[in-house]
Amino acid sequence: MENVATDENWKTCFSQLAPGLVLFARQWARSSADAEDIVQEAFVRFWRKQHDIANRGLLYAAVRSIALDFLRRDSRRARRESTAASETDQTVQPMFEIEDESQRALVAALDLLPNEQREVLVMKIWNDLTFAEIASALEISQNTAASRYRYALATLKKNLPPV
Amino acid sequence: MNDFSEIEDKLRKLRPVQPSVDLMTRIELALAEARPGESLHQGNRSASTAGVLPRERRFHFNWVSLGLGLAAAAALVLFARFQLERPVKKTPALASITPIPQFSSTNSTAQFVPAGLTQVVYHTRDEGLHFPNNSEQPMRRVRSHTRETLRWRNPTTGASLRISYPSEEVSLVPVTGQ
Repeated sequence: MENVATDENWKTCFSQLAPGLVLFARQWARSSADAEDIVQEAFVRFWRKQHDIANRGLLYAAVRSIALDFLRRDSRRARRESTAASETDQTVQPMFEIEDESQRALVAALDLLPNEQREVLVMKIWNDLTFAEIASALEISQNTAASRYRYALATLKKNLPPV
Repeated sequence: MNDFSEIEDKLRKLRPVQPSVDLMTRIELALAEARPGESLHQGNRSASTAGVLPRERRFHFNWVSLGLGLAAAAALVLFARFQLERPVKKTPALASITPIPQFSSTNSTAQFVPAGLTQVVYHTRDEGLHFPNNSEQPMRRVRSHTRETLRWRNPTTGASLRISYPSEEVSLVPVTGQ
């Protein structure tokens, strides 16, 4: 894959990756708007450094890094705002387009997964990253990425009610 | 891995919520904004992003900055003009060593009357649904960034004064019809 992408490559790349990237960022953000801000910043940073557009592991690493920074800032801000705003103020924004009750149960089970397993699952299922790419993004070994994925699936399978 | 094929299929059927339609536009704008500061591989970047980053958008952004700059400059010029005109019209040369300046200062300030308020909303962001104070009624939280400009005018001299500042407003809108 050549390093310099064409205009259409950038557009196509982003339009294909955007839903998955925003979903990935939503794990740390409190709202879709925040997740989109994170993705925007990551994409700009990625473009500025002229990284290979095909290097998706690096792109997800950028999203994760910015999201964690955002989370740290956001929790400080939340602490400040909690004195002025209601403590029970709760964000209700779906991460998925839920079609039936079984999907609702699946999303609920997904929410209960440990973060380290869920992020692998999100990258694998909804972003089609390989374990090599996931390992690169998370700076872990491929075996660790694969085992987290398997643990996540096993937990989901165990927690889901039988159909 | 085959043990998990069923759960994998179920997961793949879940469709993530689509990002907002303006995300691509915002990214194009952000990239266009980032462009001037770049120094590495300038040639490559120009070639690879020319269509993604239309120059018109960047020009639009500069236009706003230019407008704000011009407004500030105009206010400064008007204020300076007012300050220069005042001693020529009202005070003789000897007035500079008398208590008169204090009088004229309070007098001219009192002559300024409010002439208008302009509020320009240049960015709004929907922050989703919230349930404030344990209420069952969902509220949509919308954050708006605005620039407010206050103007005063002195009817006798025609001088005007303008102050412009940014502000942020968070509003809760009740959601109905569900």
